[in-house]
This record gives sequence, C-alpha cells and structure tokens, in this order.
Amino acid sequence: MSDADGSRVGRVVLVGAVIGLLVGAAVAPTVWDRASGPDGSVAVVELHSTITSDTASTVIDNLREARQNDSIEAVVLDIDSPGGAAAASEQLYLAVKRTKQVMPVVTSVTGMAASGGYYTAVASDEIYVTPASSVGSVGVRATIPTAGVPAGEIVTGPDKGSTATRTEVRQRVEALRRAFVGSVVAERNDSLALSASELSYAKLYSGARGVELGLADSVGGIDTAIRAAASDAGLSEYRVVRMESPTPSVLSQLGLSADADGTASASATFGNQGVETVHYLMLHGSVAAPKTEVVANASA
Amino acid sequence: MRAPELRRGLGAFVAVLLAAVVVTAGAGVASDALGGRDTTQPDAPAYDTSDLLPTPVDDGGAVPVADAGTQKTVIVDAAHGNAVGRADMQPLVNALVEGGHEVRFYTGGGSSSLISASGTSALNETLDDADAFVVADPAAAYSSSEADAVSAFADDGGRVLLLGDTPTTATSTSSLLGLSTSATTAGSGQPNAVAARHGLSFNADYLYDMTENANNFQYVYGSPSGESGLAAGVDRTVFDAAVAVTHGDAATAAISAENVSRESTRTTGTYAVAVRSGNVAAIGDTWFLSPDGATVADNEVLVGNVADFLVSGTKTGSMGGSGGPTVRPGALTTRGTGALGGSSGASDASGASNATNTTNASA
Repeated sequence: MSDADGSRVGRVVLVGAVIGLLVGAAVAPTVWDRASGPDGSVAVVELHSTITSDTASTVIDNLREARQNDSIEAVVLDIDSPGGAAAASEQLYLAVKRTKQVMPVVTSVTGMAASGGYYTAVASDEIYVTPASSVGSVGVRATIPTAGVPAGEIVTGPDKGSTATRTEVRQRVEALRRAFVGSVVAERNDSLALSASELSYAKLYSGARGVELGLADSVGGIDTAIRAAASDAGLSEYRVVRMESPTPSVLSQLGLSADADGTASASATFGNQGVETVHYLMLHGSVAAPKTEVVANASA
Repeated sequence: MRAPELRRGLGAFVAVLLAAVVVTAGAGVASDALGGRDTTQPDAPAYDTSDLLPTPVDDGGAVPVADAGTQKTVIVDAAHGNAVGRADMQPLVNALVEGGHEVRFYTGGGSSSLISASGTSALNETLDDADAFVVADPAAAYSSSEADAVSAFADDGGRVLLLGDTPTTATSTSSLLGLSTSATTAGSGQPNAVAARHGLSFNADYLYDMTENANNFQYVYGSPSGESGLAAGVDRTVFDAAVAVTHGDAATAAISAENVSRESTRTTGTYAVAVRSGNVAAIGDTWFLSPDGATVADNEVLVGNVADFLVSGTKTGSMGGSGGPTVRPGALTTRGTGALGGSSGASDASGASNATNTTNASA
C-alpha cells in the first residue's frame, strides 16, 4: 500500500467517523428519551364545580381525549364537587365507566365528592380521600315550579306548565334514587358496609368515615392517587398532564346570575336562561328555597 | 459526476422513500387493526328498567258520601291562621255536603284579637251552632279559654277533629353579594292546646320509612290498629310526612304506622297516626284529606270514616244556635262507635260554665 493510498483510507475513515458522530449526536436525544424518558402520561381530569350539562361536557370530552390519546395510560379524577344536575351526573358516571375499560381510573377527592360528584367517582377503580374531604350524599331531589296554568298564559294541557303531577315527580325521583343507590351498591359491592336503605339516608361522610364504610378505599393525597394510577397502568416513569375543568363565569361567582328575588335558584344555576322547569338534581346543599321540593331521601 | 451515476443515486433515493412510506402505512394499518383502545357501551346494572321504575300506589275510587241521617253542621276553623283551607280538604267537604250536611268555615268573631273575650265568645257562639268542629294546622295557638270552649263542646257531645302536620316556620331569605337577610313568618302549627285537654299530643317530627313506602320515604303506610270506627274497612292508608299522635289509656289508636322511624330520634317502632278519645279524633296528617291524597290506597275509606265520625255525634248541653237547621239533642240516632254516653265529672264542671254562657247567649 502506497502512502497515497494510506492517507486516502485515513481520510475516508475520518469522514465516516465525523458523519457517524453527527448522525449519532442527532439521534442521541431520541434514544436518550426512549431509554430514560417517561413510559407514558397520567392525565389528571378535574371536576371542580357544580355539575351542569356544560361542566359535565368538558369532563366527558377530557375523558374521551384521554382514551384516544395513545400517550395517556391512566386517568386520575380530581373531584371537588357538590354534584348538580341528575342527567349530567349519570353521563359522567357512564363516561368514567367507559374510560375504565381501557385504562386505570383513580379518583382523588380533593374537597367534596357529594351526590352527583360521588356518582362520578364511584365507577373509578380506587377512591382516595383525606380525613377532611367528604363523600356520600347519595340522593336525589326535584324542584317543582308552581303548579297550574300561570296567569297570562294559554297552554295545551294541564301538565304543560309544571311538566307532571307531584305524584309523577315523586315516582321519577324514586326511579332516579334506585338508579343512583343501585349503581353505588353495584360499584362498591365488595367493600360497602352500608345497606341500600342506609345509603338512601343520603348522609355526607368525612373521608375517614367514608373509608370505614367502604364508600372510599384509602386515605391519601392526589400524588398518591397519581402514583397508584401509574402503577396500575404499569408505568414506572410517567408524565402528568392536567386537564382543567371550566371556571364558572365571573357573574355567577359574584352571585349575579341569581333570580330576580336575589336567590341563586335551581333555575338560575341549572336552567335554560330563566325558564323554570322541574329540575332533577343530585346535589348536596341548597341552591335556594324552591317553591316546592320532593326529596328522595332523609338528608339529601 | 456523470449522468448514469446521478440517475442511479436518484433511483436509490426514490426506492428508499417509497419503501419508507409503504412500511409506515403498513404499520399504521396494522396498528389500527390491533385497535387497543376500542370501548364498548359500559354495563350499568342498576339501569335495568325492570327494576328501576317504581310501581305506582293504587290511586282510584271515590270518597263515600257521609251518612245522611240528619243534617248536621260541621264548622271548620279558619280563624287561627290555619294552613289547611277548603281547597286542601275538598274531598271531606264534598263527602259531607253530598250527604246533606252543612260545612262552614269559622273566620273569627270580627275581633282582631283571638284571645280577647270577644274572640272566645264568638267561638262559643259558633260552637253552639255546630255539631262538629274541625281544627287543622292552626298557626296561632289556641288560648286557654278557647281550648276550654272546644273541650266543653266535645264533652257536650260535639265531635272534634284535630289535624296536625309537622309544624313549619316559613322563612323568607333574600341575598345579594353574599349578604342575606331573613324574616321569619308564621308557618303552620298543631292544635296541641285542644288535644292536651283530651290526653292527646301531636309530635313535632315526621315519620318516615326507608324501605316500605309509597315511593317516597315520607309517604308511610298506615294500617288499622284498633276497633275504632275510623279504621272500619281500611286495609292500608298512605300518609305524607305524618306526625305521631301520643295518647294515654283513655284514647285508642285507630290507625298506626308500623316499622317507621321518627325523624328527630331516628327510633323505629309503631306509631299511632289516627287516635280517638271519645268525641275527639286526632290525626297527624292532612294530606290524606287533599284532592291529591284522598284516593291513594284506602285513603278514601278513611276520609269517609272521618266524615261519618263528624256527623254521628249526639250533642247535648246546648240550646242550639241561630244558625238554622241545627239538630236538637235526642233527635238523631247515634252512629259510629265510641260515642260518649256522658261526660266525666271534671268535664261537667267546665261544660256547665259554658252551658250557662251559651244559654244566656241564646236566650
């Protein structure tokens, strides 16, 4: 081999080495990520408000996004809600059940999971509470507008104004109670220490008592819940993505979306812009003194 | 660089590009085929409709017409801020009117103060005209003299029906920007002042049943518990937020709710809701008299029995009133059960003073 040949080979090797170094440097971050980066994401889905069809839609959309996004491997529900509209609460329950089919869903009760809020939580794999957080209030109520035909109106039937007789509303509230209580019994079957009729008292329990009664699983903060969800999904390294619930409008926070009589009534909170109808609510606490009310349980 | 080499290089590039696209597309299709995240309609066992919808409680029939033996005058108290008015007891009023009896609503003697002497006097005059007196949910308590008057009326053979619901205090609250003001106004009360004269007392809290109820925990079932005429023909009644009526041995329970709980103490047991003590009947519910409740289960039978109770008394000790066709003592047959043949000594004393009063008034 001549000197000329030797130096040519040396140049080729050098060029190859430089190219290899450059390519390697370009690929290295990806390989590093693959080797040491998170295995997937845990989505923290917030429910931090009363449940109306709008707030429920956001949470349901977030859960659907979690199911469809391949990088998300587990969901933690961050619940602080006194409940709200019955129909929206049932939608949330079904959305959580559907999400549970494809990934672990763990709930962290960061304040209160009452009534419809607990309905949302109950389908998850595990429920984490703190001693001061609250769970329960498994009950239904209906607010009824004034019966009869309002003055100055012509309607086509006796129930057009109030939508149903009191007896019919009572039966419907009972049907909703059966669905709610039955769902809680079915979902918490193994651990629940309360009978269906005891549950129907609709008491709100402290987190610690909730664990004792089987309404929740463990005491722990939201980071414990996130780690549990990641562990259930088989993630040792994970990223946390927070999906926030919508903030209520400034007006409603100031109480200015109330009725003309100054109270935040069911219509103002759950109704359709001032139209007063029967509202079926899975709600803890009172929105106002409604004209008449049918309650399915002793303390709902 | 020569042209053939360029062509060869370009060809290699295109081939590699195509291969990359095809492999990616294939991987994508394969990935879709694997699916992985497909979900199905979740199973919600409690939503099974066969278990979900409650069975409606039988709501049919008609309230039987009250016994039409002799025309009687039934006076309903409306002078004490009573929460229950004519519309709320329409089925009872209809049963009485269809039986040929007269129903009047006593609105007071024109005096603004019910506890004044003139108020009591007006009540006495009204009771003179009456064969039966109904007091339902008085917001204003009966004064001692008024209670004496009603008690004496019962001791003289007049029938007294006392109805009481859970006492309420109506509160109106207004709130703006977190500042709230509330005003308390009178709600409804219970006729305890009168009931106490006859050894009866209405409890203040409602009864509930979490398992065996008429589709709501506050709608409890009642069943006959005595031989009293109030329960004749009754198999099962429904009360709404009924209160228990406590009584001594002198009174008998007609209809009781079994295995129900009291709201205040949460103690479960059998509680009397309809009680009869001689000429006085006390019932811890008014909903069963309303158009909404009067035909639920056997409530229509109970309403009919109540109507019969009101018109089957034998009133003595009164000279009769100026109100027209008031029946004189002895001119009618006693119907129903448990009508008092006479009065106790103690009652006679109070009855005598009132009799004097009414005699003078009528003379």
